[in-house]
Amino acid sequence: MKKTHPLFTALALCLAVTLTSCATKKDRYAGVDGDFVSGVPLPDRQDGAAFLGGNVSRGQFQPVQFGFDAYDVSSSEMPKVQTVAQAMKSSKNDIIIAGFTDERGTEEYNRGLGERRALAVREALIRQGINGGRIQTVSFGEEMPVDSGGGEAAWAANRRAEFGVIR
Amino acid sequence: MTIRAIVILLVTVVLCPPAFAEDSSVITVRKDNRISITITPLGGSSGGAVTQTLQNDLDLSGWFQTVSDARASFTIGGTAEGGSLQGRVTDSRGSVVLSKKYSGDDRSTAHQFADDIVETLTGHKGIATTKIAFVATGSGAKEIYLADYDGKNSRRLTSDRAISVAPSLGPGARYLAYTGYQSGYPDVYLIDISSGARQRVIDAPGTNSGAAISPDGGQIALTMSKDGNPELYVTGLRGGGARRLTRTSGVESSPTWSPDGRELIYSSDNGGSPQLYRIGAGGGSGRLIPTGHNYCTDPCWSPDGKKLAFTVRSGGFSIAIMDIGGGGARIVASGQNPVWGRDSRHIIFSSGSNLILLDVPTGRTTTIVSGLGKATEPTWSF
Repeated sequence: MKKTHPLFTALALCLAVTLTSCATKKDRYAGVDGDFVSGVPLPDRQDGAAFLGGNVSRGQFQPVQFGFDAYDVSSSEMPKVQTVAQAMKSSKNDIIIAGFTDERGTEEYNRGLGERRALAVREALIRQGINGGRIQTVSFGEEMPVDSGGGEAAWAANRRAEFGVIR
Repeated sequence: MTIRAIVILLVTVVLCPPAFAEDSSVITVRKDNRISITITPLGGSSGGAVTQTLQNDLDLSGWFQTVSDARASFTIGGTAEGGSLQGRVTDSRGSVVLSKKYSGDDRSTAHQFADDIVETLTGHKGIATTKIAFVATGSGAKEIYLADYDGKNSRRLTSDRAISVAPSLGPGARYLAYTGYQSGYPDVYLIDISSGARQRVIDAPGTNSGAAISPDGGQIALTMSKDGNPELYVTGLRGGGARRLTRTSGVESSPTWSPDGRELIYSSDNGGSPQLYRIGAGGGSGRLIPTGHNYCTDPCWSPDGKKLAFTVRSGGFSIAIMDIGGGGARIVASGQNPVWGRDSRHIIFSSGSNLILLDVPTGRTTTIVSGLGKATEPTWSF
């Protein structure tokens, strides 16, 4: 690699400082196009590893539950995430997180919301020190409710993210 | 006062009568502005079948009122036989305003004739030759169906027994894009309607859904989560060159294209509950569209570019319509997932287990799909 001229370095620094202060004045966010730097990109899919497939074991961990129209992982749900993080630290198995919603949204929005819930749990696992490359996500929206009865209790049960362990 | 000034004063008084004079002389007559027509049963061996479809098409179009022939402004007739239809429209003086030959099956020739009648007499595009697609559970799983705009002639396109949802018909119903779960993940598939050839076009990691084929048929806008959050992307029709449009921490979904393909309107919950935003197809920042409603999803941009239909939630789900240029949204029906017809006059939406056709100016509704299990998520070709 060529050595950089000190003057050039100084100029670049000046420019960087100017740009930064400009951006700070315009808005407080740090994204490339203005507002948000998203989470860790998803890893490539693994051949044959699908949440509902035969090589994924489901139900090994408790699902994370969510509030109405919400995708944040509440502090009361965090122990579930920590349990999964511990298990992943002592195992080489990767996981798939599947997000689900209740039936009270429109269908396509619910597919997005389910995915956002799965990604929120993934982010929580990454914050617990798990490599994001080990975690896939999928959304089923309002499909496959655990309780199709309707009513508050059923809806609350259906707003969830489930863990599948890839064998 | 000069003569010139007097003339100007006189002209002003004559041309601009005081407003109250006009108001006080208004006689309220509920005038039906539909065009009066009469349909003479068509001749030929297929005459009966074609006449029936034609009557239904012209009735559903909303533009016409069928009257006795003496009072009709236009008379519709012709002959249908052996896969061909010779159609004719004459005005009240007997002059021919439309005379054309069509070939195809009885329904198809009737639909073509109906659209030509609408266009000739009103200057607007008809909907009779358009197609719809939707999701229905009649076979026991969510599968994609294709039908004529009136719900007839329906056939099941998929039989995967996976979850098949979110269909989008491209222009002329040449292609249909939809979300299929047969790989275990939501991927976007593209079906060539005439050949039946199907190809998986978008299978990025995570969730790929809500595909909307652009008005020129060359691009797909959709939600993808491959970069770690559900965001809007635009890709080629076969999935190549994904270009990211949004960057938020929320959920972007259900993009709809402007008629010129330069902009998109979509739903985003980045501000809390889902609201509608407008963005350039090349990117930029999404601008909030104020609707006065707290939960707005499934926007659909009318083909004339002027109106927006969408779903609002307030207790149950309702269909709202508003002018793109601004102004309040008005609720026109209860139901969800409205889509515009190419006449920018009708919408189709789901309600209960059925699909409903609504003529927006008159408020008239017609159930077009029922008995196929639960029918949802309609899409309507231009």
